[in-house]
Amino acid sequence: MSGRAFVEFVGVEKAFAGKPVLRGMDLAIGKGEILYIIGTSGVGKSVTIKHLVGFLPIDKGEIWFDGQRVDRLDERGFYPVRRRVGMVFQNATLFDAMTLTENVALPLRKHQGLGWKAALADARRRLAQVYLADFADRYPAELSDGMRKRAAIARTLTLAPEVVLFDEPTTGLDPVNARRIDRLIRELSRTLGVTAVVVSHDLPSIMSVADRVAFLYQGRVHALATPAELAASADPIVQQFIAGRSSGPMETPGF
Amino acid sequence: MIGERTLTLLGARAMAVTREVGGIAIMTGQVLRALLPPRLDGRELVRNLHRMGNRSLPIVALTAFFAGGLMVVQSAPFVKRLGATSLAGWAAGYAVLREIGPILIGLMFSGRVGANNTAELGTMTVTEQLDGLRALAIDPIRYLIVPRVLAMLIMLTALTIIGDLVALVGAAVVAFLVLDIDWRTMYFSFADNLTPHDFFHGVWKSVAFGAAIALTSCYFGVTVKGGAVGVGRAVNAAVVAAAVSIMLLDFFITYATA
Repeated sequence: MSGRAFVEFVGVEKAFAGKPVLRGMDLAIGKGEILYIIGTSGVGKSVTIKHLVGFLPIDKGEIWFDGQRVDRLDERGFYPVRRRVGMVFQNATLFDAMTLTENVALPLRKHQGLGWKAALADARRRLAQVYLADFADRYPAELSDGMRKRAAIARTLTLAPEVVLFDEPTTGLDPVNARRIDRLIRELSRTLGVTAVVVSHDLPSIMSVADRVAFLYQGRVHALATPAELAASADPIVQQFIAGRSSGPMETPGF
Repeated sequence: MIGERTLTLLGARAMAVTREVGGIAIMTGQVLRALLPPRLDGRELVRNLHRMGNRSLPIVALTAFFAGGLMVVQSAPFVKRLGATSLAGWAAGYAVLREIGPILIGLMFSGRVGANNTAELGTMTVTEQLDGLRALAIDPIRYLIVPRVLAMLIMLTALTIIGDLVALVGAAVVAFLVLDIDWRTMYFSFADNLTPHDFFHGVWKSVAFGAAIALTSCYFGVTVKGGAVGVGRAVNAAVVAAAVSIMLLDFFITYATA
């Protein structure tokens, strides 16, 4: 087991079409922690979490989860990892041919061995927990982004994951729905002990929910601190990002 | 003399075709592997059987009826000239059972079901719904692809058998209306001249065509890149690949069993 963190990225490198995105990124995440990953667009935030569940292979480095090195696993080898590490995508990725209940019932049927009726009943209960009981028989296309994201969270939680990866969970949501998602993430961590890794640009979320924040810049973790420490940081690059200033020392490719 | 540019284009096209054939071969292997041991999602299989088969039945029956009739219309001048009314059923039946039925229904199935399948899987791919499945530790091959492949194999075979029968009825109706050949003559023309081998020859072809349509439509669906434009391109490529596969398979099966 060694002294590894619950989730650990060691010297991870990743390039797309020869263009480096991650350049030796190191990041350790503790069990039960809520860690936000922030940074400018294209810096590799979503890429980082996709590496952990094997959606993208790394070019170099190591990724460890609960003492197991996972970066060398093949697609089948990742399935046991994905049952412990859930992921909520930016656009929810609910199956549009199924109702919300059927969406949530699917993993229950596949992994919990429930029959169809029992899975549907359990799915309705889980949808009620994310305040979607009245919309259980609707199709994803009939719902708002916020509702879809809450349904996606309910679906992910059917696996009883130890880690949940959130890819921009509040992007595109109104402030009320965004805070509802924040509350869900906090409740997950506090009541179920789930480790949450959240990719986000949403500063109010970050400041109110995160235990720690990893600020990615130029393919590495440039700063790793609590939200308060980050807000008080004297680092000019961190300050430019937090303040949202268009001019400053930060180099942003494409501008 | 062939220019360098032409050679480059030919080489690139050959590479692309090789890549696609290789991709389809890999998917075939994945499907076979997922079937051992067979752990099917029954609900997904039944859902696909219904939407791919039941809903295709009216259009297949309509096409088959007129295809059978068409065979009689085409042979009518010769039948009349030679007075060979006892062979009218054989001519139509032989063509329908061995060639026209499987090919026509296969192409129609490809256009209706295969194209729809590619579009649906392609949309699921570009909207990350397939990644959503993988994130839930559900194998998309086992859950999505295998039931579709089996449903297409089963339903194209069933539709071909039904279509064959409807085409024979169509041939008999048109023979009665156009050539004034009565039902009994047509029946005995079918029964005396057609063999089970003629029927099964077409059925085996439909199994092969079903496999080709299923695998190409699924492959092009799950390998879509480039959003909505990519989905359109994938549907186009899947329909063309299925049509070419049907013709090639038809030739080789006919040649091998001749």
